[in-house]
Amino acid sequence: MLKLSAVSLTLGNQAVLQNVNFVLAPGEFIGVIGPNGAGKSSLLRVVQGALAADNGQILLQQRPLLHYKTAELAKTVAVVSQNPAPLFALTVEQVATMGLLPHKNWFELNHSHDRHIVAQALQKVGLNGKANQLIDSLSGGELQRLYIARALVQRPALLLLDEPTNHLDVLYQHQVLQLVSGLGIPALACLHDLNLAALYCDKILLLNQGQQCAFGTPEQVLRSELLQQVFGLACEVTMHPLLNKLQVTFMPNQGAH
Amino acid sequence: MLKRHYRLAMGLSILLLLASMLISLTLGSVNISLTDVFNVLVGQATQSDLTETIIFQIRLPRLLCAVLVGAGLAISGAILQNASRNPLADPYLFGLMAGAGLGATLVSVVLPPHLISMALGAFVGALFAVLLVFVVCAGQHWRKVEITLLAGVAVSFMLSAISSFVLYFAEPFAANRIMFWLMGSLSRTDWLSVLLLAPIVLLVLLLALALRRQLDALLLSDESARTLGVNTLRLRLVLLLATALLTACIVSQCGGIAFVGLMVPHIVRHFFGVTSVRLLFGSAIIGALFMIWVDNVARTVLPQQEIPLGVITSLVGSIFFLLIMRRQRL
Repeated sequence: MLKLSAVSLTLGNQAVLQNVNFVLAPGEFIGVIGPNGAGKSSLLRVVQGALAADNGQILLQQRPLLHYKTAELAKTVAVVSQNPAPLFALTVEQVATMGLLPHKNWFELNHSHDRHIVAQALQKVGLNGKANQLIDSLSGGELQRLYIARALVQRPALLLLDEPTNHLDVLYQHQVLQLVSGLGIPALACLHDLNLAALYCDKILLLNQGQQCAFGTPEQVLRSELLQQVFGLACEVTMHPLLNKLQVTFMPNQGAH
Repeated sequence: MLKRHYRLAMGLSILLLLASMLISLTLGSVNISLTDVFNVLVGQATQSDLTETIIFQIRLPRLLCAVLVGAGLAISGAILQNASRNPLADPYLFGLMAGAGLGATLVSVVLPPHLISMALGAFVGALFAVLLVFVVCAGQHWRKVEITLLAGVAVSFMLSAISSFVLYFAEPFAANRIMFWLMGSLSRTDWLSVLLLAPIVLLVLLLALALRRQLDALLLSDESARTLGVNTLRLRLVLLLATALLTACIVSQCGGIAFVGLMVPHIVRHFFGVTSVRLLFGSAIIGALFMIWVDNVARTVLPQQEIPLGVITSLVGSIFFLLIMRRQRL
């Protein structure tokens, strides 16, 4: 689905990404974790084609990313990112309908089939009752789900999410990630919360200062000595007795630098 | 805004526009009854040839120009506001009108008056104004609404001052002509103006409609539009050139008319909706309606003379502008 081989990116004089290698298989959900400035967002921007890698190769559906035209890429990759509050009052349906753009020509109208796609996407994220509401009346969690609905309307082969749980209440954090992991669309998401990554992601990519420190299943990546080295805090990794998932607890008093 | 509300607002305003057009043809120094207007329009004989001449040679072209100018300015404002995500964007405040005025003035002083050369001069002037605003706002400042606005206003004043100077220099008693360029008037328009403006207004409207999805995508953020495959820089450039061309053609025919492009799209958003199709059609209709009545007032309120259009639009528009600023707390 997506394969990065020895990808590097330099911005100015700074090496933002160095030798990143991983494979995203169909249906997989990969979480990208790491401290601030690790290169998580830059990696996402490289995969969405907004930044060009200096070295290495990115294959999207067995084709080099560079061979994709902008419009074609928008049909293949959908991005869910933070948006500032819009200036003019848009409705939920209008925002979701924006996802049709890559599939439409200049004067092409929206057909009943398109309206069905939009309605289906809104239903999938649980916003079907709110199609005519203004988006400034939505909660943070609903807004994030709406952006996911817009991405679904794009009918992408790959979903990229930049900090999808930022500024959200605990309930909404889980709602959003549960939704993404249940979609069946291969997804790559930058996450701050290691426990959320452990809970919902099939694989985890750990970055630190642009270097790839580890890639693999949560069990392979979330190791206490590695996390301590990267985040600079002592930590304990345990298995949650009920969820049967790894849980990371940082302990500031013992090892704070 | 629900679809049925939008349809209702659209139907009502089209009816209002048609009624206003008919009433407008009856108004003027010579009284013509609605029945006579109707008879002349459908080609039936009336009591005098004079009625026919007044309607076909004077009032109808002027009325159509009012429709085209109002629609054109409102569409320009709507496009600029959505494309820049700036609620105060407008061809007047961005300096486009003053630039077009300067361009047309220079051409009118140097060359014998000609429809196309004036329009081209105005277009070059408008582009020059845009370039000046771009240079001032390049880099960090470009993101700030207030800075863009102040730069536009400053450029406007500068170019208007140069226009006035050029006119005084060319002709010592140029007050009337200066008034025309600064305040605007439909008194010079004729069928040729209609022939120039109609295709340009239609072309820009069609272009904006073709790019409606891209324009809508810009409403959230540039980043979000880019992820949908929109080339934001190219889109803005195309739309800016189109609005500059439209504004320039309008200014070359009837001078600088302030605040229509700012005010109308705001009213339209409230009653029709914010997405491009609703905004563009709504702006075209309400802009035309507004300009018809501004011109009706301008040519009938004082006996034997006309008030410049800008006097009325500036008065109404500036009050509206202050209200927006108060609500938005810029």
